[in-house]
Amino acid sequence: MSHSKAASIFNKDEKKVNWHDKALWFVRHKRDKSTHTVAGWEELRNLGHGIKAHTLSNLDTYLIQFEENALKNGIQVHWAADGDEHNRIVHSILKEHHAKKVVKSKSMLTEECHLNPFLEADGIEVIDTDLGERIVQLAKEPPSHIVLPAIHKTKEEVDELFQEHLGTKPCDGDPQYLTGEARKHLREKFIQADAAITGVNFAIADTGGIVVCTNEGNADMGAHIAPVHIACMGVEKLIPKQEHLGVFLRLLARSATGQHITTYSSHFKKPREGAKMHIVIVDNGRTEQLSRPDFRASLHCIRCGACMNTCPIYRRSGGHSYDATIPGPIGSILSPGKDLKKHSSLPFASTLCGSCSDVCPVKIDIHAQLYKWRQIITKETPQPFVKKTSMKMMGNIFSKPMQFNKVGGIARWSLRNLPKGVINSKPNVWGKGRDLPIGPKESFDTWYKNRKKDE
Amino acid sequence: MNSRENILSRIAANKPDLLELPKVNPDVFIDGKNIIDEFTKKVEIAGGNLFEVVSNEDLISQVITMFPEAKINFSTLKGTESFNTLSVDANKAPQDFEDLDILILESNLGVAENGAVWLPDNNMPMRVLPFIAKHLVIALKKEAIVTFMHQGYQKLASEGTDFGVFISGPSKTADIEQSLVIGAHGALSLSVFLM
Ligand code: SF4
Repeated sequence: MSHSKAASIFNKDEKKVNWHDKALWFVRHKRDKSTHTVAGWEELRNLGHGIKAHTLSNLDTYLIQFEENALKNGIQVHWAADGDEHNRIVHSILKEHHAKKVVKSKSMLTEECHLNPFLEADGIEVIDTDLGERIVQLAKEPPSHIVLPAIHKTKEEVDELFQEHLGTKPCDGDPQYLTGEARKHLREKFIQADAAITGVNFAIADTGGIVVCTNEGNADMGAHIAPVHIACMGVEKLIPKQEHLGVFLRLLARSATGQHITTYSSHFKKPREGAKMHIVIVDNGRTEQLSRPDFRASLHCIRCGACMNTCPIYRRSGGHSYDATIPGPIGSILSPGKDLKKHSSLPFASTLCGSCSDVCPVKIDIHAQLYKWRQIITKETPQPFVKKTSMKMMGNIFSKPMQFNKVGGIARWSLRNLPKGVINSKPNVWGKGRDLPIGPKESFDTWYKNRKKDE
Repeated sequence: MNSRENILSRIAANKPDLLELPKVNPDVFIDGKNIIDEFTKKVEIAGGNLFEVVSNEDLISQVITMFPEAKINFSTLKGTESFNTLSVDANKAPQDFEDLDILILESNLGVAENGAVWLPDNNMPMRVLPFIAKHLVIALKKEAIVTFMHQGYQKLASEGTDFGVFISGPSKTADIEQSLVIGAHGALSLSVFLM
């Protein structure tokens, strides 16, 4: 399904769309408030960009260095070319430890690889422990946002879900009560877990350590209790040195939620005594994205979600309309690299307003990349007839000023005189859900020339 | 070719020409803010409490009045052994500390810009403790507070910590309709005592 079709389904409930829009704008606003207190914020973003760009240009060396140090620290390191291999590796580690109950903290990578169904098929219980992720897991839905997985759910919906699955009392969606119940329910899971799976926010080449950031403490509750900790990371999570965390931890939470840092920034270097630690390094299309000069900067992404919160399209179409693990503007430049045909409508799900690029803490030129994907997609995939013909017509008109003036005159007259039913007829998708303005009597060109004359 | 070689060779073939690694100069971020005021403000923004005390005994007596209901307590501060109701030794499992009410630990590093305190492995007898305890109390010397994360990592550069965590405030979530709830999976409260 194209993005616009999926979005129109989301848009059926107008009240909910407005609520969703507002909720995300609120987060964007919190981001602004906190970043504006940081002297040198732009310099910080430049550093974030520069460090990531450098790392990518030397990524193989850094990965080797990282592996060497991690091994020295007593961590086992695995490499997976794709999602399938990643799942098989995780599965075999769990088997080796006879793990039947697994707690998982947020990891978009394991979502991308569809790890849960793979493990569940073999009778392994996988519990997502981030509250938002647990909510969508109970609802049997994918996350709709990378930082706020259940942002599309109202508190009343969560209330109902918890009544059904956790046996809670009806509470009119009282967040305090519901969170408390989730804490009890998941505490039990942490205590009983045979293994913990976490994502990785940053992997440090020169120490072989990884950093995981959460607000809830779920990654730590998992990793420090279970006998086995498996951390899954994409190759692009590398940074050269520990001191670079100073830059990224200053950028990440402020961009994500407006907090000055997440509650927990946990630095894992060696497994705790008596426990085992594994790291799975995954490619799954990333090295291919690295080969594309126009799009490789998309690998800088630190998954803060700011580009989603600010995007007028994302806010009004919902994360699920992107039909991809990473939704929103960044998802729309990552997804076509994986499957151009399936995701060909995503780069068009943008006004190209550039707000995403403005808030991105690592200065990815997101909107420019969206535009570049459009060029490729228009060439490589069949376009709808109406769009193709009208584009050709417009191209013709724009190339000849005389003709442009004539057509402009007719268009202005039509907008003033033709009935709405004709103007907003089917081929005019711009007339869907909005009215075109009344056509002015003169063109801008005429207005400008007259004004010059009057001076 | 196995996946490791496969991935590494693809990167070698696909990566751009080497770009320079930018140098981080923390001086460009200097904002002239008062370091203690800033730290205090940020601990509170993160949902934590901040107090000033003169000694460990003073700290303990304040903690006892703050949490009159607490039964299971543990502190690593010097001279506070009588506060402890349990011991942490090697034959205990992480699960055994599920009912820990109050945990008092020392931190050697606080960061003014975000109110975070650093807790390394060596300062806690077991990694799970600051997460599993209901109420986390941190003792921190004023001189141990730095301005930004950059200075924080400069201090940590010489420390070879096996595990360490920056903690800022109590555990929290806003996953239900963006309403902030304090007390997710980790501590329900965090109090920093400055000395
Ligand atoms: S692209 Fe930039 S703004 Fe969007 S999630 Fe990634 S780092 Fe954040």
